[in-house]
Amino acid sequence: MRPETREYQFDWMLWSCFSAASKLNAGTPKEYRRMLEYIPSFRGVVETVLDAGEPGQRFIEICATYLDNVINAKSRGQKTAITTFCFSPAIFYAMDIMPICLEVISVMMTFTYKRGTTEFLDYCNEAGYTETSCSSQRGSIGAYLAGLGAEIDMIVTDTPGVCDTNANAFAFAAAYLDKPFFQLDMPPDLTGERSNEYHRADYTALISFLEQHSGKRLDLERLREKLIEVQKQDEMIAELEELARMVPNPLPVVYNFMVYASRFLFAGMPECTRTLESLLALARQNAAEGKSGISGGAERLRSYFCYIDHYVQNLKLWQMLDANGICYQGNILSRSWASNAPHVREFGTQEAAYTLDTANLDGLIDTMAMLNSRMPMIKSIRGPYDAPNMWLQDTLSLATMYNVDFIVYNGTPGCRNTWGMVKLLARDTEKAGFPTFIMYADAFDERVQSWETTRDRFMEFLNVRRLL
Amino acid sequence: MKEFMEAATVLNNRRVGEWKAQGGRVVGYTCSYVPDELFHAAGILPYRIRGIGASETTIGDTYFGPFICSLPKCMLQLAGEGKFDFLDGAIITPGCDSMRRLDECWRKAGDDNPGVLPKFFFHFGVPHKYSDYTIAWFTVEIQRLKAAVEGHFGVVITDEKLAASIRLFNRGRDLLEAFDAFRTAEDPPIGGADALAVIMAGTTMPRERYTELLEGLVGGLGRSASRITGKARLMLVGSANDDVELVCAIEGASAIVVADNLCFGSRFHADRVSEDGDPIEALARRYLAKNECPRVYGEYKARLATLRHKAEQARVDGVVLQNIRFCDLHGSENGLFERDLEAAGIPCIRLEREYGPLVETGRMKMRIDAFIERIRQRRKTA
Amino acid sequence: MTCVAGCDVGSLTSKAVIMDGDRIVQSVIMKSKAKPWESADEVMRQALEKAGMSMGDLAYCVGTGYGRDKMTFINEAVSEIACHGKGAQWLVPTARTVIDIGGQDCKAVKLDDAGNMVKFITNDKCASGTGRFLEVMAKVLGVELADLGALSAKSKSPVTLASACTVWAQADVIQHLNDTVPLEDIAAGVNAAMASRMAVLANNIGVARDVCMTGGVAKNEGVVASLEKALGVRIKRIRKSDPQLAGAIGAALFAKEKVDGGMR
Repeated sequence: MRPETREYQFDWMLWSCFSAASKLNAGTPKEYRRMLEYIPSFRGVVETVLDAGEPGQRFIEICATYLDNVINAKSRGQKTAITTFCFSPAIFYAMDIMPICLEVISVMMTFTYKRGTTEFLDYCNEAGYTETSCSSQRGSIGAYLAGLGAEIDMIVTDTPGVCDTNANAFAFAAAYLDKPFFQLDMPPDLTGERSNEYHRADYTALISFLEQHSGKRLDLERLREKLIEVQKQDEMIAELEELARMVPNPLPVVYNFMVYASRFLFAGMPECTRTLESLLALARQNAAEGKSGISGGAERLRSYFCYIDHYVQNLKLWQMLDANGICYQGNILSRSWASNAPHVREFGTQEAAYTLDTANLDGLIDTMAMLNSRMPMIKSIRGPYDAPNMWLQDTLSLATMYNVDFIVYNGTPGCRNTWGMVKLLARDTEKAGFPTFIMYADAFDERVQSWETTRDRFMEFLNVRRLL
Repeated sequence: MKEFMEAATVLNNRRVGEWKAQGGRVVGYTCSYVPDELFHAAGILPYRIRGIGASETTIGDTYFGPFICSLPKCMLQLAGEGKFDFLDGAIITPGCDSMRRLDECWRKAGDDNPGVLPKFFFHFGVPHKYSDYTIAWFTVEIQRLKAAVEGHFGVVITDEKLAASIRLFNRGRDLLEAFDAFRTAEDPPIGGADALAVIMAGTTMPRERYTELLEGLVGGLGRSASRITGKARLMLVGSANDDVELVCAIEGASAIVVADNLCFGSRFHADRVSEDGDPIEALARRYLAKNECPRVYGEYKARLATLRHKAEQARVDGVVLQNIRFCDLHGSENGLFERDLEAAGIPCIRLEREYGPLVETGRMKMRIDAFIERIRQRRKTA
Repeated sequence: MTCVAGCDVGSLTSKAVIMDGDRIVQSVIMKSKAKPWESADEVMRQALEKAGMSMGDLAYCVGTGYGRDKMTFINEAVSEIACHGKGAQWLVPTARTVIDIGGQDCKAVKLDDAGNMVKFITNDKCASGTGRFLEVMAKVLGVELADLGALSAKSKSPVTLASACTVWAQADVIQHLNDTVPLEDIAAGVNAAMASRMAVLANNIGVARDVCMTGGVAKNEGVVASLEKALGVRIKRIRKSDPQLAGAIGAALFAKEKVDGGMR
């Protein structure tokens, strides 16, 4: 790590970027344009998001709020927990613990900085963590290993049984920093009483852990309040998902990203609700007018990303899709598995979904356990890819429902789990009639494959398959 | 020794051949979390699936993606080449992400090449933590495996048979512990490559014969006058290794591996299965609790304590922390071990390697030589 | 006069050094042949010829590098990690961290005051981060390996390069060439990628001052400067002799120790 990188707390720097970005619209258009010249590595994000209108403004604001909460949690008397994107943060908010979500922070840094997270990625290796591990955690955990982030009280993950490299990142950090560690373990089966009981017992143990290390008792009323808010958010997401089925799709390409990022940061919190409300208002308006979400106005292709997105700086992936008239029909991260989601009703997968029960403590814990076990990734890549309710079934259902023209896999070379089955998945999706493209890039590290090469290979696929 | 070595280095070894010729059935498994005792009690030979002898991974690479550990790729390669045709069944566990995807990859290879997939194929869920509810869940999982084995093979596994098998395997663990005392002694009568072969043979030959051989070996070592002297004493730690040649390459002319903490090695006899109470629950408790693999998250301190204890007992001069490329579990834990063992004054070397034919022996040797030079310099200046 | 020799056979070049006391009598660097022992014979023959000596004039000879065990004329083989450490400290007596980038591996060695190895680390297998990486990239760029450093110094905006793998990096360089990115920016990207991989290794063992660099890549000012930036320390330049000879010098010094200690 370069010595100058050690000079500042990384999360403070990130907060200052997003905080400034959230105020850009307050000035005159001339001032706004002038400011953009000073942020060449970040301007693509700012422009793309702010061009989305009020939802974009709200989104940048909640990113700034979240980072403000991260850097000030300790001074406000809160405990902090390092956690992961596929862990519903509602429980932390209910217990007044500030969740520090590694992958979301990695995304923010990858978007914002010229060098992305590279120095922290490398710092992990210097500290003894393997370079083949997933870059999504490595990018930000390196900063915490180096002592450049907010003070951490505990480390909590829910990926054992789902993703080794994710779980291992948290276990490594806990051992390296000598912090209390808790894991929610996921059995290979999603459904059935045996799995449910296991999820329930595990979640109960989690609550004891959180109580022990935060020194606070779980406040039932507060949890109920968060879950009612989650329910409201899920209903809005369900409506957005339903609107996305229209041709043309009225949702701008960047919507999907804003939906899942808002949920990972603030599920159960009013910040997320407000962003969703504003996303929904614009989507409804576009839908009523029969307008495409593509900025050029013409929808040419519909894509479904069966895993994650490519977060290289300046939102280049989204810009490429938008410029080519390709609308974005979602990925593994954006799905809500609430029982009222349209795809759940349509494909009769209620057993694989969760229902909110806020009646009493057992109901609340049960709800949290079921919701958490159905978070993105946790739900669908725990068992064999072709088992019921798993990756293949989800991918094919959604691709069919959204009437997509092709499917894309993008991940990181650290993803042992999906790289162990993606060739088989692609074989099956191709057989089902969906041209499928496997990207060999790293979503968080351009040093694996530069964006220019990634872009050209993507376009080459569309050309060779005569999709464009 | 010859028979141990043959069982450790030949896939379809003589004892497996005899077993099959007598109409015996063999079930393979990929990970040390599968209880051998259950199969023994069913009259089935439990066989730990290996990756040795694969000279390429064209079949493995057809199904697995590029960023995957080469051990399951080699296993699939061998299966695809028909080298595991003697297996009547196979058990896949979520030992790690690379290994658990052998489930789908092997099944798809079976779709493409009928006959490649054993008729009995079972995904065995193993929790990643040890607590009351995980033991309860794992107990049911072993019962589920038991029922599947009974149903498929038309056998009955009674509690009595299971208890007898547990006693026999515990006897083997006692003998291996006695064997360990020789292996870790000052000027030991047996080297590390042979020691690995002795331990590993237990996973590929009928248990009764193995116990008999072990008894003979332990008795013989007690009487043996030959001693290995003047070598740097190493402990081998990290990713799964079923290749005796790797230990040979590490030992070379100037080192001896006197201890290990490998799943194919001495982790097997680190403890006993309780002989009291419900035998299935006893198996669940032992197999979930005492296998010191980093797949069980959050238990680093306990594993470090084990290594420190072993290093002290075997009076090792240094620790070789190896991992197969893409094995992040062992690779990262090795990073922590290196930090903490070095701080405790125990020299360490980390090696990342590819599983399979030892094409990198030259590079590995260069590093091990330098490590031994470092140890010797240290001794000189001490 | 009691002369000793060190012979270092690498994957790309072979080196021999003849020393008398603390003085280098003669040295040779040549391109390696397919078989390491043939390289050893040849490089040693050339060194002796230049010095006007024969094998019989050498009191002790240490071999290092690939195939050191198969060298026929040596008295002893020592690992190149120890030799590079030893040689580097002779070249820069204050060196406590030695970074060596060879043809197919790179290493970082931490030394104590007496030149003993305290800790070392090497790259694990990939050619990325080695001399071979630079050689391949120079070829794709159509420039001489020796010119890569000077070229990169002219860059104003270095590219980010896929540096995890040499093959992918090569594809990336071609991509940048097709996009008509200035040659110096690609060269600077190549050197920076190399330096950042090396920095990870060096930081892994903990960098202690002074730091010096050996091996052929030490002559590439672009990599050295990038590495200084990445590590945040100044790298002591080797002036006493060619940094590429460090391994052979170390081997010769081990030979000298044997002779001085009277242990034949």
